[in-house]
Amino acid sequence: MHKTPQVNEVNEFIEIASDFEDPLEVIREALSNSYDANATQVDINIEQDDEGRNTLVIKDNGHGMDEDDLSSFFDLGNSNKNDAIGYKGHGTKIYYKSDKVRVETVKDGTRIESVMNQPWAKLNNRELPTYSIDTTDVDEPSRTRIEVHGFRAGQGFDPKQLTYNKIEHYIKWKTIGGSTAWYFNDDFHEMEIKVELSPSIDDTQDPIETDNRLKFPAENLDPDGEFVAEEMCKHYPPQELTVTLDDSRELTVEVVGMVGGKEARNKLPTYGKHSAQFGIWLAKDHIKVERYNDAIGADNEFFHFFFIANCQGLELSANREKIRNKSGDVYQAITDELDRFMTKVCQDSWYQNYIERRKLEDKKRSIQSQESTLEERLQRTRDEGGLSPSNPAEVIAALERYSANGAPETVRIADFQMDDEVNAILETDNGFENAALHVKLSDFFEEEAALSHIDRLICWKLGDLDALTKIERSSYLGEPIRFDFQSREVHYGGDTKRTIPILELADSVSS
Amino acid sequence: MVSFDIVAEAGEARRGQLRINDRTLETPHLFPVINFYGGGNEGALFGGGVHRTVKEFLTHDNEITGGEDYSDLFRGVMTSISSLADYGIREKKLDWYLGNEIREWDCFSDYNGMIFADSGGYKILKQGGLEGQDFEKDIDQDKALDIQLALGPDIVVNLDHPIHPDDEFEERIEKMEQTAANAARFAERRDEVDGACYLTVHGYYEAMLERSFDLIEDELSEPIPEAFDGIALGSLVPRKDNVEILVEAVSDCKREMQQRGYEDLPLHVLGISGNAMPLLVAVGADTFDSASYLHQAINGKYCVNLFETVPIDEANFDSCECRVCNDDFHRARMRNEMEDLYQKDILGSVAAHNLAVQQRELRKFRQLIAEGDKERVAEYLEEAVKDQKGFRKFAYQLINERINPYFEEIDTTYA
Ligand SMILES: [Zn+2]
Repeated sequence: MHKTPQVNEVNEFIEIASDFEDPLEVIREALSNSYDANATQVDINIEQDDEGRNTLVIKDNGHGMDEDDLSSFFDLGNSNKNDAIGYKGHGTKIYYKSDKVRVETVKDGTRIESVMNQPWAKLNNRELPTYSIDTTDVDEPSRTRIEVHGFRAGQGFDPKQLTYNKIEHYIKWKTIGGSTAWYFNDDFHEMEIKVELSPSIDDTQDPIETDNRLKFPAENLDPDGEFVAEEMCKHYPPQELTVTLDDSRELTVEVVGMVGGKEARNKLPTYGKHSAQFGIWLAKDHIKVERYNDAIGADNEFFHFFFIANCQGLELSANREKIRNKSGDVYQAITDELDRFMTKVCQDSWYQNYIERRKLEDKKRSIQSQESTLEERLQRTRDEGGLSPSNPAEVIAALERYSANGAPETVRIADFQMDDEVNAILETDNGFENAALHVKLSDFFEEEAALSHIDRLICWKLGDLDALTKIERSSYLGEPIRFDFQSREVHYGGDTKRTIPILELADSVSS
Repeated sequence: MVSFDIVAEAGEARRGQLRINDRTLETPHLFPVINFYGGGNEGALFGGGVHRTVKEFLTHDNEITGGEDYSDLFRGVMTSISSLADYGIREKKLDWYLGNEIREWDCFSDYNGMIFADSGGYKILKQGGLEGQDFEKDIDQDKALDIQLALGPDIVVNLDHPIHPDDEFEERIEKMEQTAANAARFAERRDEVDGACYLTVHGYYEAMLERSFDLIEDELSEPIPEAFDGIALGSLVPRKDNVEILVEAVSDCKREMQQRGYEDLPLHVLGISGNAMPLLVAVGADTFDSASYLHQAINGKYCVNLFETVPIDEANFDSCECRVCNDDFHRARMRNEMEDLYQKDILGSVAAHNLAVQQRELRKFRQLIAEGDKERVAEYLEEAVKDQKGFRKFAYQLINERINPYFEEIDTTYA
């Protein structure tokens, strides 16, 4: 004897409707359904009455629904849209969490009006809600209008928490409104999206008008100016990567993305905490699902990147929030291929140059702030008439001996701060000087310490001359540099050239 | 008579023919390290455990090769004079070993590959000389060359003083100066060598290599290409696991050679093989030597490819295309399924397989270079490193910067 497991339909509806917690998911479902209906325009209105009840109205000019389509719309797991985004047929069940659903739709000259009263109350009464159908022939183009009255979700649908900023971010990040399909041309059609909130919800801005294309900020490969890394931006054009599985099935991963500084990234339609939004996204139906920042490895910081890798081989949970087949070989193959692709991006010369430039500009900024603290230290040193050494480093002792042994000039440490790049203030025959004091000169340069405020370099020995020559050949902190070992001088800078004398103590002290 | 002809190029990679007297070697090429003398007597190919089994492959001993000819794995081999004393031999034996050139011994008389006799600088300097059971010999450039020549080699190289990454500057300079002095002495005896003379240079980046070349040129009484037939880049073994440094060193050495007009000389990379080889070929290295194939076998490791090894008992011989693994006889050996097998016989077959894997990759590379298409070279490299997470970063960097930029040629106007 065989038995069929029994389904408690009421519970099923309640559970599925309850899966959707975020009120914004209503918008995602609406946009997906309109897109699947080939709509080119969809308008969403969210209103709130004086008693706090919410009404959502979703209008589109898609191909409309006939009676069968309406059944799919209201029934459970009965979708005939196999390749469509809401393919589970569960998405629209979110509308059940309301006091009334009214659908008005026109398809092929037939208009249907359908009403479902008190769906949520009935479900909670262990009763399946029903819907009415009224059919009339009309002479008008196809369209659909869905009204959801008294909608509630999660802890209650609080429209006060909604703002245009939040909704726009959500549309661009989590729905078909942020689709990257248009980069790849596969079955893409454009859709104008308009969202309007009643003024009691948000009256600070105009309604959202956007389309379903995620666009990157304009490319800015090599901006002019001193501090520009933040504005730099490069697009990495769409690429189709083919992944072959062990059973020789082939999958396509469609990747598109950008690398850019903060200013550039701020032009993306984001809201809230930016760090949660950049990086490498896995997507299905060209809608972002989860980040996979491992693809860029530990050497690179994810927030420089914004890449979307779409693959239809990913399987999602019913509410589209999670990837279901993470433990399978499909996911493994996709992420392996993505790892390889992102390694290439990280080896791109432009990216390397961008990171280098950022580093340099950060350095320059810290030099600028160094300037003021140096100024303070110098003032203090002047006020107190020169301090005796506070750090008994061997080099300082050597310097003392150097001065005591009838050196051509007297050089004394007036102030010393261990970890500063300009770690010494000297008292010399010519007054105070800023100096960097190190055991080996090559150590100073290998640490990439800044030269900007250094009047003199003091070292026990020059150190590794080859290492210094290597630096000389590749430029130092973005500027040309030359070491004159004979006359003990460093020549540094491009347009504004400086010469920094080196005092090497080893020879003069030991002889 | 020594000549080196470049027959094809793909990017910076090149394919060449190294002719020394009547022997020819297709490059890029790997010289497996062979220990011809393992403390034993001629009848036992001078012994040496697994080393002996490898020699049995080299000399085509039917009992060990199963009747197959594996001589193509050994077209050129490297042997070091420091290995002469490896088994704590007595001085009498050493003298006997050196009494005949390698090919004058009956047992090696059929071996027709090239013999690269290394001075063994690293090991000799570490031990302070050559040390046997009842003798200690200080080795200087003259003595090293005497021993090298006694082996009857095709290629000899000066006694070098390898530098170390941790050396202080002064220490490094001193070693480079000693190497340069040796090179000069070596050049003075050039006429005694009936084959190719290689010059060792040392350094990890251009400034160091420039110094190494400068010091040598200062010591020599004639230009480098007149005194030497090839350049051997040394001191890389302590850095063998850092492919980024290896690529920089080889590539900078190559550039230094170009700037000095020595680009027609072959460049040998001492002591490096395995996964770094393809990348080093891509930046212009011509030949390599290494004992890794053997050491891996001795450590019970079977190479799956250039990057991966597995314990021998986990190896899947069916998925290897090499002739060793496709031979029932060797498979049975490697699986330890035969009666009375010695460990050295099992490991010998594994060593031959490991070597075959490396030689196969270089053979592929030679074919690719012959096509002269650097994009194909890039594709090959990319495919080779595709599952090597840590490694591919450097490979992709090399491809991107030196062969084929990844994102430059793409049209950025879309939909
Ligand atoms: Zn094999």
